[in-house]
Amino acid sequence: MKIKLIFLSLSLLLSTGLVSAQSLYRTAVGELYFFSKTPVLDIEAVNKKTGAILNASTKDLAIQAKITDFQFPNKLMQEHFNENYMESERFPSTKFAGKIKEDIDLTKPGTYPVTAEGNLTIHGVTKPVKVKGTIVATATALQVNFSFQVRTADYQIEVPKLVFNKIAETIAISGKLNLVKQ
Amino acid sequence: MIWPYFLKKGAFGFLFCIFSLFGSSTWNSVLAQDDLLSLLDEEQSKEPTYTIATFKASRLINGHTIETISKNHLNFWISHRFGAVNSGFIANFFGLDEAKIRLGLEYGLTDRWLVGAGRSSLEKTYDLYTKYKVLRQSNTMPITVTAMAGWGINTMPTGYVMESGSTMKFNNNIERYSYWSQVLVARKFTEKLSLQLMPTLIHINKVEDPSIPNQLFALGAGGRYKLNQRITLSAEYYYSIREFEDEDDEDDFETNGNFPYPYRNALSLGVDIETGGHVFQFHLTNARGMVEKQFIGQNVGSWGKGDIFYGFNIARTFSLDKAARNTHK
Repeated sequence: MKIKLIFLSLSLLLSTGLVSAQSLYRTAVGELYFFSKTPVLDIEAVNKKTGAILNASTKDLAIQAKITDFQFPNKLMQEHFNENYMESERFPSTKFAGKIKEDIDLTKPGTYPVTAEGNLTIHGVTKPVKVKGTIVATATALQVNFSFQVRTADYQIEVPKLVFNKIAETIAISGKLNLVKQ
Repeated sequence: MIWPYFLKKGAFGFLFCIFSLFGSSTWNSVLAQDDLLSLLDEEQSKEPTYTIATFKASRLINGHTIETISKNHLNFWISHRFGAVNSGFIANFFGLDEAKIRLGLEYGLTDRWLVGAGRSSLEKTYDLYTKYKVLRQSNTMPITVTAMAGWGINTMPTGYVMESGSTMKFNNNIERYSYWSQVLVARKFTEKLSLQLMPTLIHINKVEDPSIPNQLFALGAGGRYKLNQRITLSAEYYYSIREFEDEDDEDDFETNGNFPYPYRNALSLGVDIETGGHVFQFHLTNARGMVEKQFIGQNVGSWGKGDIFYGFNIARTFSLDKAARNTHK
């Protein structure tokens, strides 16, 4: 009986340990879309190796994508994106570190509109941003969808006059992250 | 009695508890956002990051670079080499009155393997080549290595007069062939500076004089320096080492041969300008040929005598990817 009690208390401890471990949701294959639209040219790219971690108990959220992982249908554009605009050798990745503001319980299945506030780093420049999105929670995963706009000038990305009509001043970014419970 | 019971059911559970306690305390310490980021960083940094754009184009000036083109992409090359700058104002408008032209196409079979073909007006030569990127520079690999092999056919009428002044007679088509292969080794040292070495082997089936060897080895060296995002300086030099059957042959050419040894090493200096889908390469070179057999093997121009040719290459890249066609209107 004594032994059973010890086990019981230990398993209680164990379960609390597991709760904090299991509140992490994670992916290494999130999708991040880039879209630039001008009357002359539409440019679209996708990064399917976006990493993201969400801590459901503290609602901390981190997203990171390598610039070289953005795939363009036209590889010359991809090279220019890396070489001329994003300077991916100097600034290899883009990051977001923030927190979901709403007071929601992500362990309960449902669809939640959310707002994440935090710091976005692009091209070596970090700025505070507020991003709106939705989270669809299931028992084992969180499907995070979001979209927002960035101005290239805010992140010191220089677009030469020559190609000004081909690259939009405001780029639309959207993301689809299927975070799986760890 | 108690011991076996503990062993049977409890030992694993007990150990598991210890571990999970330990585990939970470590997890609790990584709740901050920056720690989450560093977790992501750890995961992503395992994958190699390949160096891109060591050079702006698949050609440096006359010769190749380690660059291949992407899968299903087509490059169209238009190259001109005008007349020598010392050919006179009245007679030739300092060379601009005439030009040797090469039109070329190259196609990416995969991201690392391309095939190309071209036609030069100099010696009316058709050329075919293939290039494969064997090693790629990355955070774990210091260099990029590309292997290249090519073949050319000279379609001038038999008995034509070569650039060197000799008359060339062909008895059959095999004699019109030449072959070349290169191992291109390059490293992008910084964002701006890339250097390349290109050991080259050339075989020309028929040369004008028995004293000129059919086979030659050349060591090329070249590089680029980016002035800004659009403008790049480039240079290229090929030093030829010919295997003379008789060691005195080369000296004979200089002193008491039928004619002085006609061929010289090619040095080229250029500026690349990139505008969106085009690369413009402007250069000064003492080589007028645009295939390896000509500019490495049979180049007659000399900088010292003022045989300097202006030239340009224009490359236009087309994406033949279906997905690209939808987005790239």
